[in-house]
Amino acid sequence: MVNVEVMPPLMFGGLVVFLLIGFPVAFSLSAVGLFFGFLSIELGFFTPAYLGNLPLRVFGILSNDLLLAIPFFTLMGAILERCGLAEDLLEGTGQLFGKVPGGLAYAVIIVGAILGAITGTVAASVIAMGMISLPIMMRYGYDMRIATGVIAASGTITQVIPPSLVLIVLGDQLGKSVGDMYAGAIGPSILQILLFVAFIAGVSIFAPHRVPALPDEALTQRGWALWWRVLKGMVPSIVLIFLVLGTIFLGLATPTEAGAMGAVGAAGLAVLNGRFTWALIREAMGNTMRITAMVMFILIGATVFSLVFQGVDGSLWIEHLLSGLPGGQVGFLIFVNIFVFFLAFFLDFFEIAFIVVPLLAPVAAKLGIDLVWFGVLLCVNMQTSFMHPPFGFALFYLRGIAPKEVRSADIYWGAIPWVGLQLVLVAIVIFWPESVTYWLDRGTGVDPSTVRIEVPLPEMPDDDAPPVFR
Amino acid sequence: MRPLLAFSRGVDSINAAMGRVADWFVLLACAVSAGNAFVRYGISYSSNAWLEVQWYFFAGIIMLGASYTLFRNEHVRVDLVYGMLGTRARIWVDVLGIILFLLPATLLLAWMTWPFFVDSFIRNEGSPNAGGLLRWPVKLLMPLGFVLLSLQGLSELVKRVALLRGEQPEAEVVVEYHRPDQ
Amino acid sequence: QTAPEVRWRCASSFPRTLDTIYGAAEHVSRRVAAMTDGKFQIRVFQAGELVPGLQVADAVQGGTVECAHTASYYFVGKDPTFAFDATVPFGMNTRQLNAWLYSGGGREALRPFFERFNTVSIPCGNTGAQMGGWFRKEIKTVQDLNGLKMRIAGIAGQVFAKLGVVPQQIAGGDIYPALEKGTIDAAEWIGPYDDAKLGFNRVAPFYYYPGWWEGALNLSFYVAKPKHDELPPAYREVLESACRDATLETMAKYDAQNPQALRQLVAAGTQLRAFPREVLQACYKAAFELYDETAARNEAFKKVYDNFRAFRDTQFQWFRVAENTFDNFVYFQHAQEQRGAAGEQRR
Ligand code: NA
Ligand code: NA
Repeated sequence: MVNVEVMPPLMFGGLVVFLLIGFPVAFSLSAVGLFFGFLSIELGFFTPAYLGNLPLRVFGILSNDLLLAIPFFTLMGAILERCGLAEDLLEGTGQLFGKVPGGLAYAVIIVGAILGAITGTVAASVIAMGMISLPIMMRYGYDMRIATGVIAASGTITQVIPPSLVLIVLGDQLGKSVGDMYAGAIGPSILQILLFVAFIAGVSIFAPHRVPALPDEALTQRGWALWWRVLKGMVPSIVLIFLVLGTIFLGLATPTEAGAMGAVGAAGLAVLNGRFTWALIREAMGNTMRITAMVMFILIGATVFSLVFQGVDGSLWIEHLLSGLPGGQVGFLIFVNIFVFFLAFFLDFFEIAFIVVPLLAPVAAKLGIDLVWFGVLLCVNMQTSFMHPPFGFALFYLRGIAPKEVRSADIYWGAIPWVGLQLVLVAIVIFWPESVTYWLDRGTGVDPSTVRIEVPLPEMPDDDAPPVFR
Repeated sequence: MRPLLAFSRGVDSINAAMGRVADWFVLLACAVSAGNAFVRYGISYSSNAWLEVQWYFFAGIIMLGASYTLFRNEHVRVDLVYGMLGTRARIWVDVLGIILFLLPATLLLAWMTWPFFVDSFIRNEGSPNAGGLLRWPVKLLMPLGFVLLSLQGLSELVKRVALLRGEQPEAEVVVEYHRPDQ
Repeated sequence: QTAPEVRWRCASSFPRTLDTIYGAAEHVSRRVAAMTDGKFQIRVFQAGELVPGLQVADAVQGGTVECAHTASYYFVGKDPTFAFDATVPFGMNTRQLNAWLYSGGGREALRPFFERFNTVSIPCGNTGAQMGGWFRKEIKTVQDLNGLKMRIAGIAGQVFAKLGVVPQQIAGGDIYPALEKGTIDAAEWIGPYDDAKLGFNRVAPFYYYPGWWEGALNLSFYVAKPKHDELPPAYREVLESACRDATLETMAKYDAQNPQALRQLVAAGTQLRAFPREVLQACYKAAFELYDETAARNEAFKKVYDNFRAFRDTQFQWFRVAENTFDNFVYFQHAQEQRGAAGEQRR
């Protein structure tokens, strides 16, 4: 007789095996779920009726209006990527920073941060920056690995800087408001940019030949012409930042609607720049549709898995496993981060957010860990899943657009120091929770016990009028 | 094999059409959402019906678009092992995956979601929110989507079996796999 | 004869973070197990773990879970009659609603309605009178309601809509930032204890009372009818009394926790405001118009509504005699004393 306690670990094992076969993740997830579901029915852990909860869960996914942000931000990214606005921004900034050693790398980091404040998708950032700056960096003698690494890493900054799909999804999974998640992510975003800049500064001091300054002949524009160019390149970005963040701040749009604003704005800018074509929009729509369907079907597959996982008391198993960890909060956080870091080698962030985070959140809450802090920490950690050689998405995009002379090994090796920097950031956020919580709201400091609450009283009649009964 | 391949072509064209509808739902969802914000801000008018339309379109993108995404071979995979396989081995992974992984789930879900829709339709279920929409149209998307996906699964199966048998299917078959943009 | 082993899964409509409401189901689970020597086990799952919170009625109806813990007014889209099992605007207070449900024929009136959904509904928890929610601007006249964008669901939203309010059921995660920036003007939740956890006080200064749409919110323990029928009679009794116990438990917890939570909110800068009488009167009128309209086209609704209204009339008569006179006098006297004490301190 099989005991129900062995089922959860078996399911995790099955998950790894099924996913490794290489059939689409969405259907592999549901297959693991159904396989163990039928096994559980056979072994009497639950009845066939229990699987009847699936339609309700699927409907819950379709009616989760928070996930609407996914197609909106994807559409905005798809339009931006195709209409060349990001290129304008990068060219100007590159010229501006060109004469300092490491200048092009700084430009890539800054542009990555600006693009990050507009959108939440990595593809647009990496592809745009890779296409423009990688050839320039190669031409002027940048070390190949530094060049590919800085592009891939800067492209992933967008996941931590609000607005961010990861933060939206994590907020939803953790039951925290998107506003709090965004506020909590401000500190780590700044730290991350500083870390990246410091790394390049370090390289430019200790190995200046790896990040040379642009020679004079490469600086085609100077003085006012250059500044004008930079400004012109920045205008569309500022307009979009306004459309997305500004409409939220003005109270014009909810954060979800702001994504739609950004998409409409990106299309408008493409029109203004004369780059709008009907084909561009059609292509962006199709691309967005397929990404949305793909991502949401991972969720549907994951919901089959997790229904069965709940049915075999999986959440109890995880709780026992994690609550027995030594070291209280910090011990738990360190363990979880190592766990997620390794999961990120073969799962990407959607898979982690939907399968693993719901299992971790209750334990974290029980240990008294601030869930915003926890979410931002996981977000920073999961950013590495984009840069893990050899399967990180960012590296894959870069491979797709890099010139032939860039070897895959350069891209993989180039990513490693940045994954290291990311881990340093994870450690900082674990041991310095104020880096997140500082930006969250604090109280007024008034002592509640001194508070007097006066509520108007009903009028008391002077005379006691006798009641009347009819 | 011939009639099967004809079936496969038919399914492919139906789902391509559904995919185009889903493409437009992206734009419509976006336009409605931005429009909601403008109207609410501008003239303090808005309604739950227009808020709900957004996620009706969203549900449409997913349920009508998933089968075309399967046709394009763009459902993300873990290509740790798959990436090292040859074409024939990849086709085998797909053939077995469709039979053992995909079809059981999509057929089961199509069968399960149907009565869920019927109950909502018979009771004329509305929204719990003031001024909201009837629920059955969005609930109908579920059985419809899973049936379309099952059909696409069969179509992909037919095409891959034909390839394995050395026949060249006239229907388009996407064996090459690219990780999707994200 | 030995008692059989029964194991049920209970799908809650609430997240664990709402510890009082969610706790009602856990309370039932603990009591039931304790009273049956662990033979009758109910495992509670928070919203979303088995099914999403708003899908639990479907789950019980379809028998995919044995039981659920919820607030019936989530399902007014299926049929507005569900609301009477929870609360309706300007309905009864906690004591009166309990009297109707437990001893006044309320459950009997609702039973045939729930049978259409294959469900047995047992009262299980109550929040007491709720607060009227968080507003960015003051409501001084009925005209101030016109164009007010408020996140409020269900029948209360329909009542408000009659007075020009724009009910906006925006996404859960968007409420906070939308209220912060004025995308919406108001949002409501439960009472001080639960509201404080959401932090709405940080973005909307005015905290209105009373929540006239929820003078008392009865929570319900749904059991799939076939499962209820096959339960041994002794277990049925055990479940009944555990649910009754949960009603007392939640009420006591809220009453004990809310005063301190309200003080904390006020200390953090919240400004308490009462809905003006004129506004309440307009809402009252709109609410009862809505019930009449609904009753005219919904037979089930009319049946329960007639029963509910008749009971409410007699309750109001009685409560005005001893309860209300007592309450009014002691609150008044107490306030006078406190004022006097404060005055002396100042001197
Ligand atoms: Na971002
Ligand atoms: Na309320």
